[in-house]
Amino acid sequence: MAAKGKAGTKFTFYPGCSSQGSSLHLDESIRAVAPEIGLELEELDDWNCCGASVGRIGGGQLPNMTLTGRNLAKAQGQGKQDVVTACAACYLNTHGGNEKIKKDVKLRAGVNEALAEADLSYDDDLQVRHMCEVIVNDIGVDKIKSRVKNPLKGLKVAGYVGCQTVRPFAGTDDGGKYDTYEDPNFLDDFAEACGAEAVEFDVKTNCCGGSVAVMSPERTLHLIKRIVEAAVEAGADVISTPCPLCQTNVEMYQDAINKKYGTNHQIPVVFYSQLMAVAFGMDAKKDAALHRNTIRSEKLEAMAKK
Amino acid sequence: MTAPDAARKYDLGFARWVRDNVDGGDKLSMCMQCGVCSGSCPIGTQMDYGPRKLFMMIRAGMKEEVMTSNTMWSCTSCYRCVVRCPRGVPVTYILQDLAAKSVELGYANPNDNTRFSKSFWWSAKTWGRTDERLVTARYYFSFGLKEGMRRSLDNLKIAYCMIKAGRMHLGMPHKVKDKKGLQAILKKAAEIEQRESGS
Ligand code: SF4
Ligand code: SF4
Repeated sequence: MAAKGKAGTKFTFYPGCSSQGSSLHLDESIRAVAPEIGLELEELDDWNCCGASVGRIGGGQLPNMTLTGRNLAKAQGQGKQDVVTACAACYLNTHGGNEKIKKDVKLRAGVNEALAEADLSYDDDLQVRHMCEVIVNDIGVDKIKSRVKNPLKGLKVAGYVGCQTVRPFAGTDDGGKYDTYEDPNFLDDFAEACGAEAVEFDVKTNCCGGSVAVMSPERTLHLIKRIVEAAVEAGADVISTPCPLCQTNVEMYQDAINKKYGTNHQIPVVFYSQLMAVAFGMDAKKDAALHRNTIRSEKLEAMAKK
Repeated sequence: MTAPDAARKYDLGFARWVRDNVDGGDKLSMCMQCGVCSGSCPIGTQMDYGPRKLFMMIRAGMKEEVMTSNTMWSCTSCYRCVVRCPRGVPVTYILQDLAAKSVELGYANPNDNTRFSKSFWWSAKTWGRTDERLVTARYYFSFGLKEGMRRSLDNLKIAYCMIKAGRMHLGMPHKVKDKKGLQAILKKAAEIEQRESGS
């Protein structure tokens, strides 16, 4: 169980910036499957950027923390329920920032002095949680199973967890102790609950390069190559991931990898929530957002309800 | 390690400065030089020095080399080192704060990361949200017009695919409703930070 989860199924939902751009398909599919598994998501009012991994350099420590402070103040205005996000970077920053602000009196005073400029303050004891942790700890894999109308029989899935969804918080009390750092199982469990086959995938927590892959792709192509090749060698039809940046990086750089290394990879990279939407018999486009993957999976699309 | 060089200025107060001023620096004394961090690092081979070596250099007072190294700029924030370190050293946090301090103290030259961070923060403080399209464009053109064009052309196919999939937002940037409030908050936060660092 999560440390101090308020045991409700209503959450304040923080979508994050990529939900309006590169990871629209995570957002659409999460919002579609949430009510199916008993999650009520109320969007965080007028949310702002979390600061990602570069806000600290770009804006300074306190301004960057204050971005998180503003979101928390807005969440406090919405009630005591836990805050949940499906984005790894939003989770890392907002969860980590929240715990820091709660414990560090001086930091909290600074954040609140800045927030006062817009008549906001944060003095609550909210919990900020990752969607996958909530599904593991509050919902349970059996609930996923119970919603499956269209099992993904024969679909081989490489569960690519990446970094910040589990590191550095998945094993901590505040992070809900929901899985291990070295060999997390939750993503494979999600796929199997959907009726798919989770293949052996030993690079599941490797790094895709994160924002370095965006700024300096030539430095990190070899990291993505390794992930793609491991999935292909394992016989996977698709790679499944919970992380917005992993999804985009591993998908969009396959062309560059092919060009640089003379390979010919074209493996689809989807979100776990897209798999759920298909398995729940929901609409291929409106709910599973399969048309938003730039490398499309014919096999998955053939299984989806049109 | 490089042999001690009589001509080189070692700053033996540097380790103390790191301990007192760098986020997580107070845990640096826990490091037992096992090398698990460097061995786990996905990008360690591209670093001037891996985290283990960098931490030893901090102890040795090699301020100049530490502050101008590419180590902290290479870090992808994968947090592998943090969860594996047997001594609980918050490696990633230390590197991130060293990076920030190296900019503040004038050691860092503009590099990919500082340029990208600047573009990113422009979007965050102007709109309250990240506009991936504008952040990328500003980043590319921060290298100048020619390089900006080259990078844009290099990524034309990706941009085309993203637009086709509806994943590149076109039109006015998404923004927070209370832009004024957000900007006032961030301005104030920067002032407080300035004030505190001066005291
Ligand atoms: S893993 Fe920890 S103790 Fe080992 S060298 Fe790295 S920082 Fe030091
Ligand atoms: S967080 Fe940074 S330093 Fe640590 S292992 Fe990952 S890339 Fe290397």
